[in-house]
This record gives sequence, structure tokens and C-alpha cells, in this order.
Amino acid sequence: MHAEYRKDLFADERSDDFDVVGKPVIRQDILGHVTGRSKFYDDHAFDGLLHMRCVRSPHHRARIRSVDSSAAERQDGVVRVLGGRDVPVNTNTLLSLINFGRDDEPLLATGKVGYVGQPILAIVATSVRAAQEAVDAVKVDYEELPHVLDVEEALKPEAPIVNDEYPNNTFDYFDTYDHQKLRFGDVETAFSRADHVVEGEYQMSPIEQAPIETCGAIAAPETSDRITVHTSTQALFFSVGVTAKQLDISSARLHFIGGTVGGGFGGKVDSHHEPLAALACLATGKPVKYMWDRAEEMQVGGPRGGERWRIKDGVMRDGRIIARAFTGFFDAGAYTRLSSYAVQKSTGHLPGPYSIPNVASNVYCVFTNRTPSTAMRGFGITAVDFAIERHMDKVARVVGMDPIELRILNAYRDGDMKAHRREAKNCALIESCQAVAHKAGWRLSADAARASSKTGGGEGASGVIPETVTDDEGRIGERRRSGLAPEPFSGQGTRGLLPEGHSSNNSSAFGNAPQREDMEAEIERLGFKGGPGAPPTPRGPVDEAASGARPTVPGETSRPAGAGGGPTLPAAYAQRPAGTVDQSIAQPPAQEPAAAEVESDSATTHFQRGVRRPGVSRFISGSRRR
Amino acid sequence: MLEVQTYPTIGEAAGAMDDQARFLGGGTLIMNRVNYGDPRFNRIVRTTDASLAEIRVEGERLEVGAGVTMAAILASRDLDFLAPAARAVGGPAIRNMASVGGNLMAPHPYGDLAVALLALDAVVRMASGEELGLEDFLARRNGVVRSLLVRRPRGDEFRFRKVSRVKPKGVSVMSMAAHLTRSAGRLSGVRVAYGAMASTPVRVRAVESALEGVSLDHAGIAAALSAATEGLDPPDDPIASGWYRREVAPVHLRRLLLGEDAR
Repeated sequence: MHAEYRKDLFADERSDDFDVVGKPVIRQDILGHVTGRSKFYDDHAFDGLLHMRCVRSPHHRARIRSVDSSAAERQDGVVRVLGGRDVPVNTNTLLSLINFGRDDEPLLATGKVGYVGQPILAIVATSVRAAQEAVDAVKVDYEELPHVLDVEEALKPEAPIVNDEYPNNTFDYFDTYDHQKLRFGDVETAFSRADHVVEGEYQMSPIEQAPIETCGAIAAPETSDRITVHTSTQALFFSVGVTAKQLDISSARLHFIGGTVGGGFGGKVDSHHEPLAALACLATGKPVKYMWDRAEEMQVGGPRGGERWRIKDGVMRDGRIIARAFTGFFDAGAYTRLSSYAVQKSTGHLPGPYSIPNVASNVYCVFTNRTPSTAMRGFGITAVDFAIERHMDKVARVVGMDPIELRILNAYRDGDMKAHRREAKNCALIESCQAVAHKAGWRLSADAARASSKTGGGEGASGVIPETVTDDEGRIGERRRSGLAPEPFSGQGTRGLLPEGHSSNNSSAFGNAPQREDMEAEIERLGFKGGPGAPPTPRGPVDEAASGARPTVPGETSRPAGAGGGPTLPAAYAQRPAGTVDQSIAQPPAQEPAAAEVESDSATTHFQRGVRRPGVSRFISGSRRR
Repeated sequence: MLEVQTYPTIGEAAGAMDDQARFLGGGTLIMNRVNYGDPRFNRIVRTTDASLAEIRVEGERLEVGAGVTMAAILASRDLDFLAPAARAVGGPAIRNMASVGGNLMAPHPYGDLAVALLALDAVVRMASGEELGLEDFLARRNGVVRSLLVRRPRGDEFRFRKVSRVKPKGVSVMSMAAHLTRSAGRLSGVRVAYGAMASTPVRVRAVESALEGVSLDHAGIAAALSAATEGLDPPDDPIASGWYRREVAPVHLRRLLLGEDAR
């Protein structure tokens, strides 16, 4: 099919010197692939290569009473049997490397298993066959326990505990809530004045990335006391970091070679093969390969997680959507991996590419006894986009409107304020809709055909952050005790109010206050901090109030000059009219720092706060970071 | 441990088989089991018997050695009627190795060539010399095959069609073959076979009898189409659900019988 490119849509946004799109391009690695010369990790041959297979749980959830590997150890060809106690740092969470979440997943399970296929022992032998026969000879005595496979079942008070680190079956956000909140405007009031309220529920299934090359790694000893690891990972430095942490060795002893990934699509970031292969290499002094077979890739490999979304829209007769509330459930499976992050990514995407003045969402990272899910191609975005666009069609039917015109009516225009408090830029949904309608011979009304992303944006209320109702519902553990419904504003929790404000761009210090102090962008953590000689003042974005790029809000002070290197209390907090906000909501007393304390803290306060938490890896220490 | 045993003749190789042994033809089915350390067998039996790779004319019939590969079928003028089915198997690398005998043993949803052979009423000659119909062979699927005996169909009376989601190398949603023999302008003694619609390639007798005595046009085949999946319980697998296979079977059967182009 002939492709057509509408460069005119972005003529003002960038120089038009790109010359790649629309032409055949020789991929830099394709010659090696088609001639069979690219070396994948499994193409590296070693004398005396040992092979690893794992003993895996046949149950969704069970206590391990005992493991008897004595018969396996006596079998021909078996070199070593490794269990959880052989792993120096057995428990890890992928995002510990960026200090997000708590270590919750064992490399090799001890004591209990939380999903079918979870590895318990790793057996190293002279052939795959010998390793598999040894695996079959291991006797594990399980006490099967009740399990939960549905995200909403897992939230119920009586649900079994999936992950001991998160006993409420939900990831903890900001050490405070069992979900990620988004609050923008006042959805409750808007729903009460809407002509129609349209609700829908959308369920997406897990998807396996199904790479041609199954995940794996070969670890081989070097004479320099280092270990060379050939791996299929799509996140080489991630895998180095995880391996160094779990083996408790310096990453300087690890020589990772990757780069040829036989199909990744997100399924090769979990970094389970590299630590196990390297551990076996250390334990035996021999090169060891750990490779999944196809069945393992399908059953044990982390898929895109299943997601359930409920959307409730308040719609006026003319098709204008005035409120949208989301309740989202990400099925993380038994352990966190990257699902905690997927939730935040999806929240940043809400409410889709539409200018909706009142938005609220509660999104949950839920633990169930399923295979832990992980990254896959736009995870966190694709499923909710599907839900949003299906819901747009549903809204169009309810108000009796053309679905394309409904989208054009509600689409973001340049300058509109998005629910995550950034200004919409480079919008092109309207133009895309018009182009599609034209190509498909779909008749649009004159108004819709005339609409433009460049006009009408940011006018009046659509350019500002509305006065926003907040709540403190869904604190960690509350849902399990009380059976609280998951939807936003579904309980009797205390409400707060954040005043109207303007775009915050990189820091809310320029505009409205964040809901909580730790949602403040920490400018000093963005990008390169500079050497010891660097000026103490953070290199934040240009002070927009001072530069005049944005009008100063009457009554709002500009960013205090000469703030000594640390984040300052946003002006809006200081100026909040007494009595309108319950301080205990916006900032729980236990964690509320005094204003003076924040002012006097050094730029590294927030950074160190995380690192000093007990149980957090020393591998993300400040010295390592520098 | 795994042992590999090589015998000079197919007869000796057949004598070495038991339930712990697997016969190695082209290896496209066995070797991935070996790579994954399948503990269900501990011996691989193979033969260097050159006669297995031969294609010979035997009276009215062609004798195709069990070791003849898909690529060899594609290169053979005598077997041109089997070329569409042979080309439907895997990609070039697989076709260079995959053998006729192995295709008879291929588990669901594989075995597209066997579907064509079943519609052509092929006879299986075992290593012992015993001959049995392919349908009987598929019902028990054991023993070592020496060759297949098949008659060349006349004119355009043989049709084969493979339905897959990925082209050209996809796995079968279903494959279909029909031997549309005629008598006085009407169909008579037709044989129709499906692949991936049961645990082995199967003949579809309901369709065959509905085609008896009809003319090969829309009206004539209507009854056959409504009987397209009669007596079948197509399996669910990652390629397609049984429900889907049942729903689309009449459409593909119509395209097969009428020679309609389906893109």
C-alpha cells in the first residue's frame, strides 16, 4: 500500500530534514541475520558446557514442606543442585535498581510457591537430558493452599495472601495508598450535572511475547576471575545490575555480551537467566547454559499482564465529555516485576487524547497467583487505549453522534491542560480523524471538517488546572479490612480541595501544589547532577513566571529566588486559604515535613531517604551512582 | 542418556525399534525433542538404506520412499500433483529435511502431506513388506514405514488447500484435499480428507457421500457444505479453536471444491 505522509501537520514543530520514512532502509543488523552470521547467545560454543533445568511448582500456591533431591544428585551427569539458600541475595525486585518497590521475588523459591512453574531448584548437569532426568527425580512435598487468579477477587478481605511482601495483594504507592490516584477537577459534581452517564467495562487478556529465540544465557569463567555471560537479554545493564546484586559480587567481575536478541518485545528484561547461569558458573567453575524450552517460554515467561478497566463518563447532550472516571486493575501475577511501573505509565496517559475537565482514576497493581507479568510493547498504554476508544464509540451511540465527530469535538487542542497537569502540545488527533474520514469517504459536518488542533485550545477553563477535589481513600490495608469498593470516591474518606492553578511543566513549584509532597518533581534528580564543582542550584527548567512565557496568576507568588539548592514548598501550598483544605489529607501528619526542614535539606535528601530504607540494596548506593 | 544406532537396511532398523526408541527420518520432529531432553525415549534409530530416498514407478502406481523429502517431491516431475501439499510444509529448511514417512507420524496440527495422500487413497508399505491403507495406518500409527504407493490423479480431479494465519509458513488452521473422480459428468467415488480437524488426518465420509452423483457447482455441493464437519470434533489449540474450525470449514470446503481463489 502506498503510504502518504502529512508532514504539514508538524511543519512548525521540527525541521523537515528527515529522509527515512517511506523508503526502504537496510537495517544495520539484517545482513548478518539473513546470511546466518549473527551470533546469538546460543551460538557460542564451549568445551564442557553444562546445562541447567529447573524444578518447578505444579501448583498455583503451595507451602513447600520438604524438598528431597538426594536421588537426583546421585544420577549420572548431575554436577550440582542449587536451591534458594545457595543464592547470596535470593530476593529481588527488578525495579530495586531504580529504588522503586520492595524486594519480593526469590530467584529460587523457598518455603512457598506462588504460581505454576515457579522455580524451586536449579539442576546443573552435563546434558539437557541428564538435567531433565534429575529434575524428574526430585521429590517435593507440597501442601496445596487456596489461590486467587482474579484481580478483584484478590482485593477481597478473604482472599489468600499472594505475596508476603505485599500482604494486601496490592502494590503500595508512595507508602500510603493501595493504588495510584489521579485527581483532576471534581468528577462527582460533574456526573451529577451530566445529561448522560455512560459506563463500560473492558477486559484484556495476558499476551505472551513469543520470541523466536527462547530466553537464556551462557555464563563462562574467565582466567581473570571474571565471568563472561552471553545473554539474550534486551536490557544488558539491567541484567548486569541484577546479577551483581543477587550474586553479591562486584559488577566489575561480570562481562556481559548481548546485543543480538532473538525477538524481545519486552519479554527479555526480567533478568532471571543471567543470575542463575552465573551462579552455577561460580559454583562449578564451568561454563553453564540456562535456556528455556518453548513450553517454559509460554508458561513461565512473563507475559503482558491482563488488565481490567472500568470507565464512567459524564456526557452532555451535545457530545461534550465533562467527566471521566477510571478504575483499572493490572494483574501483576505473583510478583511485582514491572507492573507497578505500568500502572503509573497508564495513569500518565489518562484520560486519553481528550480534553476532559474532570478526571479521576484509581489504578491498582494487583497480585494474583498467575505467572508474573512484565513488559511488552507499550504495556500500560495499549489496553487502556483499547478501553478508551471502545468507550468513545459507546458514548457516541448513547448521544446519537458520529463517532469520529465525537472524537474531534473532545480532542485535545494545543494549549489544553491535561489531567496530569501538563499542557498539550503537538496535538494532531483532529487532523488524523479528518484524514481518516476523508480517505474512507466518511462525511463529516462542516464544523468537524473545519476543526483544528491549533485553534480553540487552552481557552478559558480548558487551559488551567481546575480546582481539584482530593480524598484519602484506599490507604494501605484499608480495603482488606473494610471491603471498600475500588472506584474513585467510593467511600466516606475525608475530602480535600486543591485550588485552581496553571501549568506546572517540569515542576509543580511553578504552579499548583501536588497532592502530596513526594509527588513534587525532584529537579536535582533529573539528568546529570554535575561534579563537585557544579553550582548548588539545581538545573531546573527556566523559571517561566520570571521569563514571562506564561502569565503569572494573580495572587500566586513566583518561585522564590535563591532557594538554596533544594525543592521549595510550592507557593500554592503556602497560600492555601485556611479552612478549605484538610492538611492531614494532602500530607499525612506522620510524613509531613516542616516547611523549614524542607528548605534546609540538601539536594540529596530525597535520594538518600530511599537508599537508607532497610532491605534496599547497597548496589544503588550513592557512591555507586556517582 | 541418549544412544544413536545406525543400521544399513530399513528391515534391521525396524527390528531395533521398541517403545524407548524413536526412528529418525528427517529429524524435524525428533530433534527438537532431543534438544529439550525429552526423557520418553533413550534411543534414536536410523538407517543408511538408500532405497528410502527413491521414487519409482511400479505399474500403475508410484512408490515414494519414506525418506523422500518435501524438497525432493517438489523437484520430481512424477510427483507434481503432490507439489502443492509438499510446498505447504514448513519453510525451505524444513522441506529440505522433512520426509514423507515423518509426515505420516506428525502430531496435530502438522501432517499436511498426509492429508493429500489420504485423499489419494495411498497405500503404506511397511518395513516388513506388509501393505495397508493409509487410513488404517493412521488409526494406529506405529511401525516403520518403507514407502508409500500412490496413483497419479487424472486432469484436475485432485485439489489441495491449506488454511493458515501466517503465510507462507504458517501452521494449519486446517488443510483439505479432495480427489474428485467423475462418472458421466457427475461426481462419483469422491474422497475428501481434512488435516488439523481431528487428532490425525481424517477422511470426511459425510461430505464424500453428499457429493455422490452431484454436479460440481454451487447447487450440487450445497449438501456437502452443510455436512462439512459432520461427525467431527475439531480440537482447540493455539492456532484456532474447535468452534472456529467448525465455523470456517464450509467456506474453505467450497473454495476447495469449486477451485475458487481465496486470497
